[in-house]
Amino acid sequence: MAVKFKFVIMAACCIAALILAVAVGSVFIPPDQVFGVLAGKLFGFGTGPRPDPIAESIIWSLRLPRALLAFITGAGLAVSGVIMQSVLGNPLASAYTLGVSSGAAVGASLVIALGLSFFGMFTLPVFGLAFGLATVFLAVSFASMMDKNIGSFTIILTGMAFSLFANGIITLMHAFARQELQLLVAWQMGSFALKDWSHPAIMFPAALAVLAVAMVFAWDMDLMTFGEEQAAATGVDLKRAKLVLISAGAVITGVAVSLTGVIGFIDLFTPHVARKLFGARHKLVVPASALLGGCFMLLCDLLARVAAAPLEIPVGAVTSIFGAPFFIYLYFSRKTGRPFKRKRGL
Amino acid sequence: MLKVKGVSAGYNGTKVLHDISFELERGETLAVIGPNGCGKTTLLRAAANLIPFEGEVLVDGRDVRGLSRRQTAEKIAMLFQSTSINFEYTVYETVMMGRYARMARAFFPRVAEADKEAALTALDAVHMSALRDSGLGTLSGGQLQRVFLAKTLAQQPDIIMLDEPANHLDLSYQVELAGLLRDWAAGKGLTIIGVMHDINLAMHFSEKFLVLKEGRVEVLGPAGAALGGERLKSVYGMDVAGYMRETLRKWENIG
Repeated sequence: MAVKFKFVIMAACCIAALILAVAVGSVFIPPDQVFGVLAGKLFGFGTGPRPDPIAESIIWSLRLPRALLAFITGAGLAVSGVIMQSVLGNPLASAYTLGVSSGAAVGASLVIALGLSFFGMFTLPVFGLAFGLATVFLAVSFASMMDKNIGSFTIILTGMAFSLFANGIITLMHAFARQELQLLVAWQMGSFALKDWSHPAIMFPAALAVLAVAMVFAWDMDLMTFGEEQAAATGVDLKRAKLVLISAGAVITGVAVSLTGVIGFIDLFTPHVARKLFGARHKLVVPASALLGGCFMLLCDLLARVAAAPLEIPVGAVTSIFGAPFFIYLYFSRKTGRPFKRKRGL
Repeated sequence: MLKVKGVSAGYNGTKVLHDISFELERGETLAVIGPNGCGKTTLLRAAANLIPFEGEVLVDGRDVRGLSRRQTAEKIAMLFQSTSINFEYTVYETVMMGRYARMARAFFPRVAEADKEAALTALDAVHMSALRDSGLGTLSGGQLQRVFLAKTLAQQPDIIMLDEPANHLDLSYQVELAGLLRDWAAGKGLTIIGVMHDINLAMHFSEKFLVLKEGRVEVLGPAGAALGGERLKSVYGMDVAGYMRETLRKWENIG
């Protein structure tokens, strides 16, 4: 199947998932009404009869910003996964490997445990982002002090060590702030609930920027999957490429974690699905992962909303429950394009 | 073309190479031999500016440390002893990556006709054109070796550094490779340095030898000076020539 055709089908699936996510919920709104509201709001003209103002409010104020946030977050996390897997030369790497989520959780725990409110409703995301990025920055700085070339193994090991350290601090805070524990656990599980337009408005430029960076560095990432020396000997400016790419991946994950909590697996397995469909070249894997990640996150969030209605399941649980078995199937299936590890030579 | 002047290098504060110097002109080949751990690979890494080193490496009179990575890659290509392969690229995609430094750029590299032609020519040179759409995971060790050799060729450098290029290759292809390398040096004016364990193959590949022992130059010169007399005995701690002659006698007995 031609590459363009596959992308058209994927884009169509994304639009269908978006409409489904907006239509389905505690109140079902028929797709024609969804179209009507969207056309009216976006282009200034309505289709069909004038929609019910309550339905309009549900679509425009509740479901659409939430669905868009889910899509953009999924897309951003997936691209971040592509970046980390290629830069760290490890098909199982993700930004979480570098301690983004643990660091962000330390920030969030502080806000919750101490009842901080410097930035109003954005206090938690701001602290989460700051601590998440600070952890990555510290881990990478420490790695570069230990190893001037910032080798992948050094980064992974320091990232893990910093993550464990951060987890230790969180456990300590849990021990001292038992009443707030519930809030913290809920935040860590990740959710798109109660998000207004300001959330996708913050997430969109960040996701777009990381997508652009990943496209510009697509060839560099291709070469880096073969090992750092191979890439350097072929002309890749490793230090620059690594710093730009890791920063981009860490920022998008940090923003996502701080706005929506920890949502795992999307960044890990979406790139593998994309490789299965489009081969290994990052020029295709990056945009394909963005679309797939966005679509998958939308559907997971839809499931999180409706599966146990009126209760809502944490979306992080849904992505992991569906993602883990699918990932295992994908990893061990014997069709071409499966992720594999091999060494040429010694 | 390539001047290596007083190069010393090592890892984690331990020097592996000590004060290595040699010069190669365009079209010359050099076989680097020596026992395990004598610094052969480290020499290639330093000469390609992949690790920090003391001394000087000049390519066309320019210090290699003053060149950007892409400029260096236009001058020097390297075939490594081993490569991690994490994802299933096709043969053609892998060889095309050799064009990275030479691709035209508008925000990101773009594949031009010249790049396609160079990749296909390189694939043809190593007889891998028929498998151009195969995934790397489906290839044998020898085929992989040829793919990465083609990637090195597609880079169209002035200098090629090969670390154990005959790894995994069957005997006929080893011999063919040695001939190919000589032809590329003579015909295309490439300067080729080959680190080789197989001294027989090294003799087929080059007439100039650099023998390393414990990170120092033991001999630099033609085969006669490098391999003759007691020289190799002191380097390898065994009678290499005697072993070769005994092998030959066995072959003569086989008939």
